[in-house]
Amino acid sequence: MDDTDNGYAIVIEDLVKKYDDLIAVDGLNLEIKSGELFGLLGPNGAGKTTTINILNGLLKPTKGTAFVAGYDVKKDLNNIKELIGVCPQEAALYKFLTGRENLELFGNLNGMPKNKIKERMDYLLELLDFEEDSRRKVKGYSGGMLRKLNMLVALIHDPKIAFLDEPTVGMDPRARRKVWEFIGSLKSQNKTIILTTHYIEEAEALSDRVGIIDYGELIALGTPKELMEKHEAKNLEEVFLKITGRRILEGI
Amino acid sequence: MKMQKTLALVKMELKKIIREPAYLFLMILFPAVLTLVFGLAFGSPQFNYMAPGLFAYACIFIIMIVAQSFSDDREQGLLKRINITPTTSGEFMGSHIISNTLLSIFQVAIVAVCSLIIGFRPKGGATGFLLAFVLIIVLSICSVGFGLITASVAKSAGTATGLSFIFILPQMFFGTFIPLNDATRMIAYFLPSYYATDALNLIFLEGVPLTELTIWIDLGILSIMSVVIVLLGILLFKKYGKA
Repeated sequence: MDDTDNGYAIVIEDLVKKYDDLIAVDGLNLEIKSGELFGLLGPNGAGKTTTINILNGLLKPTKGTAFVAGYDVKKDLNNIKELIGVCPQEAALYKFLTGRENLELFGNLNGMPKNKIKERMDYLLELLDFEEDSRRKVKGYSGGMLRKLNMLVALIHDPKIAFLDEPTVGMDPRARRKVWEFIGSLKSQNKTIILTTHYIEEAEALSDRVGIIDYGELIALGTPKELMEKHEAKNLEEVFLKITGRRILEGI
Repeated sequence: MKMQKTLALVKMELKKIIREPAYLFLMILFPAVLTLVFGLAFGSPQFNYMAPGLFAYACIFIIMIVAQSFSDDREQGLLKRINITPTTSGEFMGSHIISNTLLSIFQVAIVAVCSLIIGFRPKGGATGFLLAFVLIIVLSICSVGFGLITASVAKSAGTATGLSFIFILPQMFFGTFIPLNDATRMIAYFLPSYYATDALNLIFLEGVPLTELTIWIDLGILSIMSVVIVLLGILLFKKYGKA
């Protein structure tokens, strides 16, 4: 990647985000290497999405800052926008357009040349076994299909850094496996992926490293194996349980 | 390739209008029905005096469509999604002004065709029509501004529809096809549609030559109002409307 990033795709420094009296992110420090698949794990409301939204410029930090590919989110947002792709938690798609038309639109909005859009679109649709459905209007899509397209739209411009916010919520196990395979394949193309999830298996299966976040603070960081060994746990769920005394999926 | 993003958004907005039955209804059926009803109810020659005002009304009516469309996209998370791409707000707002002005021109065309069928025979030559076209475009841009203001204030697409009538109704009552007396004219002076209708009346009904100063004063005031309202709309929308 660029010389500016020192091998880090993301550097988060003392990041704080407050909403009125609620502290969503509380002094977060985190470094994510280029080419890494990083899992951000934590219960709902832990501050995962807030962190992502600061990194992609939708939210402004209250204190501290973050760098994406060496660019400061407070100053160089335009440079950052050229490099990232974001898959939001709630599928955000034009329902009156077909899947292909949605992909084409966002390819254009990312400034891709026409032939590149088509090439990339065909490649992605085939890879996720989505060619037929992509010709229909989004209006008739099932929940799982919406999710798939939602992720493809985020990746249409082949971003160097991808934020995938709970990409497999509501997918059936078969579709989820397929998406996991796909996310795994991105890693081999030297992309940096930040994956937020509250599915333990998802984080375990995919991530090079995992950061566990709770009440806006990073409470554990390491490879899934390191974390399990350190806390003498069978899985990441147990790691979370041992640190906080609660379960990640509690109350859902 | 500077226009690529704007054009892609315009294309999408036009597809939205064509493919969403609710928008399609509002766009084609509503102006046509309105014109035909007025035509049948009042008949010639009274209808002739209303026709230019109906043109202006067609432009005002898009306030509701703009407000609804922005609120819809916001609710779906699409505005955020566009915001993450390298698309600038200039390109984004530009695309909305272009697509909605096109829509407005189309609506006016429907009203014009219906009026001609009913028996409206406008005066004013080719240059008069050209100026009328400019007036319609400026009033449409003004309506996009009002739509943006509405979408900034409204929290959902449903409330946006209702709220848009705050801007539609006064402009309709005091600045389109309803005749004014001295009292209502005082209110009308504050409304953009009044100046558009006044100029359209002069062109189509009186057939005044383009050397007539009043037309240009009307266009001037309308333009200034439109610029202010659009800028206010963009500012408000950037501050309150996106989230």
